[in-house]
Amino acid sequence: MKKLVGQVTPAERDVIQSLFERRNGLNELAKILTADNAELYEKLVTDMGVTGTKFQHWWDTMAQHYGWESAEGGNWEINFDTCEIYLVTP
Amino acid sequence: MMVREVFNEMVLKEQSAPWQGGIAKNITFIVTKDCQLACKYCYLVGKNEKERMSWETAKAAIDYILGHEEDFPEQSVVWDFIGGEPFLEIELIDKICDYLKTEMFRLNHHWFDSYRFSFSTNGINYHTDRVQQFIAKNHSHLSIGITIDGTRQKHDLNRIYKGDGPLERGSYDDVVRNIPLWLEQFPGAGTKVTISSADIPYIRESVLHLYGLGIHEVNINCVFEDVWREGDDRLFEEQLMQLADDIIDGGWYQDYACSFFSEHIGKPLDAELENQNWCGAGKMLAVDAAGMFYPCTRFAAYSLREKRPIVIGNVRDGIDKNKLRPFLTLDRTTQSPAKCLECEVASGCAWCQGENYDAADTPTVYQRSTAICMMHKARVRANNYYWNRLFRKLELEGEREREQWEENKPKSNDTIC
Amino acid sequence: MTQSVDAMLQYMIILLDDTSTSFCHYDVNKTVRRLISLDHLRRGIRFAMVENLTIQMVYPDYELPAEYHEAINTIDHSDIVPSALGRDADVIVLDGWDAVPPSDGVAVIRTSLAHLLNHAATVSDWLARLTRLNIVITDLERMSEADCDEYRAFLSQVGTAIERLYVNGRSPQLNTLTDRMMLTAMNNCGAGDTCITLASNGKFYVCPAFYYENEQDFVGDLDTGLDIKNKQLYRLDHAPICRKCDAWQCRRCVWLNRKTTLEVNTPGHEQCVVAHLERNASRELLQRIRRQGTFLPERPDIPEIDYLDPFEAMHNS
Repeated sequence: MKKLVGQVTPAERDVIQSLFERRNGLNELAKILTADNAELYEKLVTDMGVTGTKFQHWWDTMAQHYGWESAEGGNWEINFDTCEIYLVTP
Repeated sequence: MMVREVFNEMVLKEQSAPWQGGIAKNITFIVTKDCQLACKYCYLVGKNEKERMSWETAKAAIDYILGHEEDFPEQSVVWDFIGGEPFLEIELIDKICDYLKTEMFRLNHHWFDSYRFSFSTNGINYHTDRVQQFIAKNHSHLSIGITIDGTRQKHDLNRIYKGDGPLERGSYDDVVRNIPLWLEQFPGAGTKVTISSADIPYIRESVLHLYGLGIHEVNINCVFEDVWREGDDRLFEEQLMQLADDIIDGGWYQDYACSFFSEHIGKPLDAELENQNWCGAGKMLAVDAAGMFYPCTRFAAYSLREKRPIVIGNVRDGIDKNKLRPFLTLDRTTQSPAKCLECEVASGCAWCQGENYDAADTPTVYQRSTAICMMHKARVRANNYYWNRLFRKLELEGEREREQWEENKPKSNDTIC
Repeated sequence: MTQSVDAMLQYMIILLDDTSTSFCHYDVNKTVRRLISLDHLRRGIRFAMVENLTIQMVYPDYELPAEYHEAINTIDHSDIVPSALGRDADVIVLDGWDAVPPSDGVAVIRTSLAHLLNHAATVSDWLARLTRLNIVITDLERMSEADCDEYRAFLSQVGTAIERLYVNGRSPQLNTLTDRMMLTAMNNCGAGDTCITLASNGKFYVCPAFYYENEQDFVGDLDTGLDIKNKQLYRLDHAPICRKCDAWQCRRCVWLNRKTTLEVNTPGHEQCVVAHLERNASRELLQRIRRQGTFLPERPDIPEIDYLDPFEAMHNS
């Protein structure tokens, strides 16, 4: 089930969209980069950690700021086009 | 514990505009000038099996582009691969994409956070292991369009295999078998249909056929070349009106889109406020197997019937910015003849800068070709019919239905090249 | 020559010989004499009379047969003559920096930028003798950023000399510095719009440069008349960069446009920058002359701008 629980500003949306894109990019880069390329591999691993942290931090901060409804076993989703936040429950 | 995820699908059945439309740089690799097909309407007059891009040329192009970040300030990039048929060069494309990803990351290039790999394919090789491996590896950054023209009859009328002599073997069966896999992997994908004079009688059944295949977005346009015969506009209008009836009576409008029908076409345009160029040539960049840069693929030699190519640089010397100035200052009124400026139904009438150049009386991009004029006017008349009928239907069904439809209406993509 | 949005054909240049002197950006790449036929000359003159065109005759460095002079004198015209010919004319094209310009005459000097930069003093001396000097930089499309600084300094130096001449009661004209002060609107070459060229082969060209670049690039002939395709593209209102520009003294050379950008209506970066260096130097000169006394009181100041290439200003906005 999907329920509309809030909305963020376009500027806030841009932040998470950019992190989303970066995370996807890092994940796909991880498929082709091996430890042989030590320098770049190290950079990738570090970046994945940093991006993951920023990603989580955005959701934590926004959820607290807007007071979004939550549910056990559910997750939030954002529609990048409308900036709307949905609570998705099984 | 709450799992936080993001998604990028429409909540509603609305097809999206081009990804990062208006803020993305489109960079095209013409990886090959070869194709399995010899489509009768294909504007590529110089296709051949010899001009395949080498890895060295591709790498040099990438090194130049990524090494000049200040010259490419666009927020996002679409790395586009065309041919001929791009998937004939899947090995090269895979190597290019791997290098792009690695280099954008290594250089801390701003495009690493916002890029796509885009393909327009005939779909014949879509199911092959090599293509499927590539898709699996890059799925979240891919945009793939398969071209299918409609029914078997319509598709095979034009999209025939090359070299089969008078037998003219169509490619429909080899493409349609890959549609379910494609839609499973890219559920929002749309197809692009091109209409030439001989295709007009098949428009209605073809669009409905594509809907029936599960394709929710049909981007369809008439060719810009001067191929139209007397009476084509009347036939075209009739086909579109029949299609309008079927879409409305069959309820397809709720969930499917056809770019022929748009609320925004057929109005006069303001000379100052609506003076922008239609085409993105010059804001795009194309590179071919010889390492030459073009303002768009349509200015490469293999696309031009009459004129010399417009080369704006090469991978060794870079881009000659003076050659880009005419493209970046093009506006609607400067290139349009008086009849277009005075036209009461001007909005939505498109043009292709490459075709304008190829058809012009002098080697200029500032002379708009009007070969499509009567077809646009026919489209506008049928479009008026469509909206008048649809709105009346929705009104009769009640205000709520109208509002609901307005909110959920599917959109098509006006990008035509 | 002047040009406005609704201008019509007003001028015709007649190249009397393939080796007629260049008075503009193009080089004369033909070395073999080919005199225009007397028939073509007479028909060209008649064409000009019928169309109400003012003729400029461009001469080679040798004397024409008497019957040519006879034909030429059947119409009011002006003569553009190489200094090597050694005779008076409306416009003398100097054959280098060692030439001696005529007193109270009008002269043209064609020069590379490098040579020009070394001759600020010569230009100043010449301006003390001449009524008007036109400087044509023949390699401006190759101008670099560093060249811009040097050209700016050159204009400033010559500007000082002109200021001194004006204060002393002489008012010579220099196309690159005084034209902008005097103008109230664009005043460009007008090739293809207000001006057409009849070459020695009896065919029409947009300007002499188009003839010397490609003889097949003609736009009609004396038999069939003028036929300029996409004629509107030579007009100011069809030049998106130029129509908003106020470097009114710019030559707006359509041949250079085509050479650098492939479009006759679009100037290259270098042509714009040179024109704006001159415009800005004219602005300073106007201010300096006005500090010495009343000068052109009916004209407003030339406004200060923060760009040298209007394309970049358009693009950034």
